Amino acid sequence: MNTSEIKGYHSALKIFSRLRESSFKIITMTFGLVLAVFIVALLIGVVTHTTPKALLESLLSGEIQFAIRLSLITSVISTIFCIVVSVPAAYALARYNFPGKNILNTILDVPLALPPLVAGVALLILFGTTSFGKGLAEAGIKFVFTPLGIILAQFFVNMPFMFRVLRSTFQGINPRYEYVAQTLGSTEAGAFWRVTLPMARNGLMAGSIITWCRGIGEFGAALMVAGSTRMQTETLPISLYLNMSCGELPLAIASATILIVISLISLFIFERFSGFARVF
Amino acid sequence: MVRVENISKTLGEFFLKDVSLDVGDGEYFMILGPTGAGKTILLETVAGIYPPDKGRVYLNDRDISRLPPRKRNIGMVYQDYMLFPHLTVEQNIKYGLRSRKLGKQKGPQRVDELANLLGVTHLLHRHPGTLSGGEKQRIAIARALIMEPEVLLLDEPLSALDSETRAKLRKELRRIHALTSTTMIHVTHSFDEAFLLGSRMAIMNHGEIVQVGEPSEVFRKPNSKFAAEFLGVTNVFRGESRVDKGIAYIDINGLRVTSTDNREGQVYLSIRPEDILVSLSPLESSARNSFQGKVQDISDAGIIVRITVDVGLPLVAAITRHSFLDMGLQQGMNVFLTFKAIDVHIF
Repeated sequence: MNTSEIKGYHSALKIFSRLRESSFKIITMTFGLVLAVFIVALLIGVVTHTTPKALLESLLSGEIQFAIRLSLITSVISTIFCIVVSVPAAYALARYNFPGKNILNTILDVPLALPPLVAGVALLILFGTTSFGKGLAEAGIKFVFTPLGIILAQFFVNMPFMFRVLRSTFQGINPRYEYVAQTLGSTEAGAFWRVTLPMARNGLMAGSIITWCRGIGEFGAALMVAGSTRMQTETLPISLYLNMSCGELPLAIASATILIVISLISLFIFERFSGFARVF
Repeated sequence: MVRVENISKTLGEFFLKDVSLDVGDGEYFMILGPTGAGKTILLETVAGIYPPDKGRVYLNDRDISRLPPRKRNIGMVYQDYMLFPHLTVEQNIKYGLRSRKLGKQKGPQRVDELANLLGVTHLLHRHPGTLSGGEKQRIAIARALIMEPEVLLLDEPLSALDSETRAKLRKELRRIHALTSTTMIHVTHSFDEAFLLGSRMAIMNHGEIVQVGEPSEVFRKPNSKFAAEFLGVTNVFRGESRVDKGIAYIDINGLRVTSTDNREGQVYLSIRPEDILVSLSPLESSARNSFQGKVQDISDAGIIVRITVDVGLPLVAAITRHSFLDMGLQQGMNVFLTFKAIDVHIF
């Protein structure tokens, strides 16, 4: 080998070793990229499956309009219930120490791990077959096969999301803010209302968004409790399911498109309001 | 005024063990102790944040042990301010007004007065997040004072500040105390603060009160090894100072020490043991203070050896083990101690 050949050989070695060094980076990045492409392709596939005109027509159809309205109403109401129940519960579990606290924490997370269908069956059994449920029904509060059942299902399945975001938010607020407020004339509840709750605003927003978004998409538990009656308990996911099963593809895709748009917007807002995404 | 009787309280790893205290009306009372001594829980128990496990708290001879904080009229200021971040400075200061019901006119007037007193008027519309530590602490103090508390509890209020701001705010605290004659209980781990502010002080360790007394007395006669070590009462003396051409001459028991700190009258001075040079013969140097004396005591702590030399006062010098061995120091030997005027700290 002459000198230039040796030089060439060396530089080739160098490039090769640099490639080897970064090949790990390239491989791992490729995985991430492929995954991202897959997700985007799926979403685009749904949205572009029909013509824009057909999509618009479906969106304006009475059935989809009904589904949108029912989904919005039920999800907003169930989110409000989640807030009302989770705020005090999350506060208690963030602030106080008491025997059985760990068990309570675990139990409150159970709906998160439970398959929604199972949650739905459990709700159906409690509210449909027991004397408790029958009593409620006689008093005019019917959950089985009604929109009320949809709210109940959404509440039960999504409560842990609200609860967990709020619990970690309250844990992140130094209790001494409340102590100071109490020395300034507030009751415990007053200090919570005037200091802790406003300070928890971002967590509350993030929790509400994710709870609401999941409420809109809730299918399994709602199907069990409220059934899938066209124009009665037909939320967007139920509508998607009904229309897919009887071949009304444009309607199904209209529902799917709306659900995609709502999810994306919610995700965006959620990320903006928090580093709370870490709770999960 | 405030009487704490045999308070015990356990809170996680912090605890109080049978603590009793008596703080007089209008007194500026200091509580001095190392981290984890239980100083904060003591304040929080007095404020009513937690009920004590045992013992009682009295305010003006009224048992307040079971009263909630809002009914005690005791103010609280924390080291890290605890300003409500979602409220403006003004809203922070007037937080307590809602329960005081001063009326439409008097309330805002009171906010202005306090903002004036603490020099934060120009900050009223800002949010706490954008302020400096000193500014935040002033606002926290104003917020507590709006309640016109009978007692103001200060939990290391100056510890998080830089030394310049600390000195300024320390003066401010003294001024506020003089103006409002509010009883103050101030927790700290700095004995400069205890000296400069306190009319009396208590030393705490491991959840117990170790000693109570006037600062000078506690410094002069620490009643325990802990107190002496914690106070670091090496080379603290009291004397009469006279300033001439920028140099202070302090007479202590007939001994004259010079310092570059300019303060006249009755003062305390301290010299850090490591700032004192030890030699076997007189040193020719620029240092203004040089004394001769006999080695009284040698305490060997490894790399550093502390020797006590009687030069009319017991002065402690810290030297390395190496120079200790080089000089062959022994008890009763005659040595010379030299230190610069700039190393003599007056307070």
